[in-house]
Amino acid sequence: MGFLTAVERKRLVEERKARSAVWRVIHWLGSLQLALILISTIAAACAIATIAESEFSTKIAQVYIYKAPWFIVWLIVLCINLLAVTITRWPWAKAHAGFIITHYGIITLLIGAMIGIQTGFEGNVTLHKDKPPVRKLTINRSIIQVESPNDTALYVMPFDASTARPSEKRPCVFEVPKTDLEIIADGFSENLIKEEKLVPAEGRQPGVSLLFTSARMGQNLEVPLVMENSAPQEKDFFGLARIVMQKDLPPPKAPGGAETQMVFGKFAPVVQGEKSTGVRVALSADGRKVTITPPDGASATYLREEIMKKPVPTMGASVVVEDYWPDFEMRNGKPATKSDQPLNPAAIVRVQTESAEPADSKPTLFLAPAGQGIRYQLQRQGATYASGEAKVGESFSTGWADWSVELKAFYPEANIVSTMIPGPPLPRGEQGVPGFRARLVSPEIPNSEKRWIASGDITSITDGKNVVRIGYGLELRPVPFTVRLVNFEVPRYEGTDKPSNFIATVEFKEDGTGLTKTGTARMNHPASFPGTLFANFTGINYKFSQAEWNPRDLGETTLQVLYDPGWLLKWIGSLAICVGITIMFYGKPKTKNA
Amino acid sequence: MKTIALLAALLFVLAAPARALDLTKLEAVPIQEGGRKKPFLVFAEESLLGMTGKARYKKNDEKIPALNVVTSLWLSPIGWENEPLLLIGNKKFKEAIGVDPAKKLFSYRELAANAALRASLENVSAIRAKNPKTQLDTLEREASNIGMRLALFEGIASGNLVTLLPTGAAAWTPLVKNDPALAKLREGFSKTDQALFDEGVTLLLSEQSREEARFQADPGKISLELTYQKLHPARWAWILYLIAGIALLAIPGRAGYALGWIFAGAGFLMQFAGIILRVLISGRAPVTNMYESVVWVAFGTILFALIFETIYRSRYFLLGAVPVAVASLILADTQPVILDRSIHPLVPVLMDNFWLTTHVLTITLSYAAFALALGVGHIILGKSLFGSKASPALHNYLYRTLQIGVLLLAIGTILGAVWANYSWGRFWDWDPKETWALIALLGYLFLLHGRIAGKWGGFGMAVGAILAFQSVIMAWYGVNFILGVGLHSYGFGSGGLPGAITFVSIEILFVLLCVWRHYAKAKRA
Repeated sequence: MGFLTAVERKRLVEERKARSAVWRVIHWLGSLQLALILISTIAAACAIATIAESEFSTKIAQVYIYKAPWFIVWLIVLCINLLAVTITRWPWAKAHAGFIITHYGIITLLIGAMIGIQTGFEGNVTLHKDKPPVRKLTINRSIIQVESPNDTALYVMPFDASTARPSEKRPCVFEVPKTDLEIIADGFSENLIKEEKLVPAEGRQPGVSLLFTSARMGQNLEVPLVMENSAPQEKDFFGLARIVMQKDLPPPKAPGGAETQMVFGKFAPVVQGEKSTGVRVALSADGRKVTITPPDGASATYLREEIMKKPVPTMGASVVVEDYWPDFEMRNGKPATKSDQPLNPAAIVRVQTESAEPADSKPTLFLAPAGQGIRYQLQRQGATYASGEAKVGESFSTGWADWSVELKAFYPEANIVSTMIPGPPLPRGEQGVPGFRARLVSPEIPNSEKRWIASGDITSITDGKNVVRIGYGLELRPVPFTVRLVNFEVPRYEGTDKPSNFIATVEFKEDGTGLTKTGTARMNHPASFPGTLFANFTGINYKFSQAEWNPRDLGETTLQVLYDPGWLLKWIGSLAICVGITIMFYGKPKTKNA
Repeated sequence: MKTIALLAALLFVLAAPARALDLTKLEAVPIQEGGRKKPFLVFAEESLLGMTGKARYKKNDEKIPALNVVTSLWLSPIGWENEPLLLIGNKKFKEAIGVDPAKKLFSYRELAANAALRASLENVSAIRAKNPKTQLDTLEREASNIGMRLALFEGIASGNLVTLLPTGAAAWTPLVKNDPALAKLREGFSKTDQALFDEGVTLLLSEQSREEARFQADPGKISLELTYQKLHPARWAWILYLIAGIALLAIPGRAGYALGWIFAGAGFLMQFAGIILRVLISGRAPVTNMYESVVWVAFGTILFALIFETIYRSRYFLLGAVPVAVASLILADTQPVILDRSIHPLVPVLMDNFWLTTHVLTITLSYAAFALALGVGHIILGKSLFGSKASPALHNYLYRTLQIGVLLLAIGTILGAVWANYSWGRFWDWDPKETWALIALLGYLFLLHGRIAGKWGGFGMAVGAILAFQSVIMAWYGVNFILGVGLHSYGFGSGGLPGAITFVSIEILFVLLCVWRHYAKAKRA
């Protein structure tokens, strides 16, 4: 065997096809016709998917094509076709080696991918240097969690509202386990917003409802605020300003101080300014370092070169080293330097208080309950610019653009009730909080109140009799170890802000054994846990690669996590494909046609 | 009237004294810009290109070299604010900000005073501030580009961007106002005093050498880059290839073939030298942006053609490769706005020469093999169009070329998946670039399997080689320039779409014509 001529082989194939139905099926499944159909349809589907991704979103492409059941079935058919075609070549000759290796390579690769999809997962985890270790990973899969009223166990069901898009015509139904209750989702919104309402509530603390109006922007906004445990309550106003409700108004403040300090490496500083800021600045004797000590904080030392002419944020103040002279002298009434040597280092430093902290630079409206109304005070850059009293129905100007505010309601004892409602459509490219509308039904009560459930929220829905708690959002998966960010560095290209790498040092700690391991995730070099030879080989291994960073907070990084028990098959399959094609094309020429 | 003309002439002389001065000494002065140190000439040429989209500035029908424009803008900026130096390409954008849509270049003064432009610049920076990853639409992207051009102009005119002095830290600084070297350069420049100007350059170099060596530029690299910048290897290569092609076509017999070999070999060596220089300067594999990959594919096409010519001595490989190589190199040489020649720092994920070399070089070499197959496919179809039948040998050549392409594309795509597994943490995730590489591979596999199934022969293979190459165009250019989504975003760019559509349409029409003729002939016979 194995030395059949083409003619003999053809006769053999005809014979076995005539003899057995099984062979006929195998030859049909392994036919080139089927292969051509599979190749062309897969290619066409992929092409359509990329266009859909560009036009709509990655999710659409994944749900309708890449991860759709029909596509997976098609890939399985491809596997069968590849397998069948190798069987049709039986008995195998040496010339078939490349052909068989290649085709089995593709099958192995696809099986590895299936195993990866079934048993592995991809997720991410956001770590912060100053935060405790994390033991849950966010998986790229939306789920709902339902707490059954019967056994209070938590049931998880995969559900992605933004792809399922439930509507009244096409509702999605979930059975609440161990009950005869059903949750019916029949609405979807990409942009749910929280609506808060002030209601009187006995035994609670004072609350107000403020109505902000801007004629120029044609907008109204109602802001309710309730004191809790007598602690100040704060709300953000479009990121432009802050609204703070507290028991008493802060004392009025005069504008903040500013001073100029002439600091010397070897002498006491000369300070000039209307008001002392209390910030002490010291220059080291060699002029290389600057130490800044705020009035009530710990001192910090900087390399002078690195902070020249840049504001150094300090507790309640901004410090700028304006100029520096290594060998200071006054020449013609002006500061100058005698030489390059740090013989008499001096620097001029500008200190500005109460306008440095970003929170402080925002204008703030302070409120305090007073009788049947409020007293208010408006501050900007740490200075009070308006104050007064208001009763229900009265308005005053905020001084923030043309926004004015009316005291809509005041209750000495109040509470805020918040519900989610669909907001206006979002502009292209912006992302809101998605969510769906749901209601709880039971055989006896088929109609009940509908409620919007936002991603990341846990709410209760009721049919009037039963109450079911339901949560919706990305799945959080616990892992058998904790991970902590020890250090995060972003080196830059010389003279620019462009990052040249991201280096995250993380510490893993295994549950139970308490085994700890430090790893470094750099670009192109993931950190892995457990990372042992066995773990690497089997893929029972968590790989952490750099995914995202926050330019505004360099203590934070997001790592992509991969757990893929199918990887070895993928790699073996890949290698087989490469080797197989090479043998097929460049191996010994086939002994064709005798 | 006469006096005004005289005055204008006088002013003109004052404003543009650069022409009389020889600036050669300044060329090699290192400057830190864009995250690396480079010769001043490179800075000047990149800056002018960045502002005007042109390699030279045309003033009163005279072409002023970039070095002179940028030096003048830096040392004597007065007057330049009225020169049309800033490019606005997008017609709709020009209409939106109310400037003459027929004009391409605008003066700084015109644009700085334009309230609508300022508003759209503020809009873009507000979008960026909100979310740096927001995808800008065409008009917003144009606004952002113009913002960068304005900033470039301001940076050079104010000297802030001309960071010539090492500081003892990673970042260099510009010269201070009263720097003695700057004063000499200024005075020498404005008075057209060659000696004083050269003295200024010498003084500047000595100021630079004051810092520790590790903060200075590597003089070897600077001179290497200067050589590379002036050499234009891609230009020489396409001229040589073109001569090779003409020789092959025009001179029959062995003489023409030998000449073709000689000129193609010379062009190949020129390209090789250029690529080696670029690798030495940038310190990485030469396939990190569209410009580099176009040059590399031209190189690979000729490489495969020469290898096959060595084996088969058929002249068809060279004939197929030359048009592809010449066309791509002409594009690379003449479309600097679309195919940016400058060397930029890489995004961190690409900073890995092992993977760049294995994955990207393999993928682009497969494009080169398919480009050669495209050329050979055209020869086969061209022959059938003009009545002669292609020989079985020619069909075999096409098959051989396609084999190389399929092997390299399969290996390259898999290497990409392995790299992605390593770097992004997943093997395959249907990223558009991945997917289109797969589609291209499937396209060629379809072609090869159809041949085995007996669905088509040599003619069909030629048709397929041309049609399947359109999927390579999509994977190579389309994903980066048309789709613009996915993780391979570092290679994204814009422009050239009408050209690409024209190319694809002409190819498809050509194929249709050939197929129609083929069947018409078959029917008659």
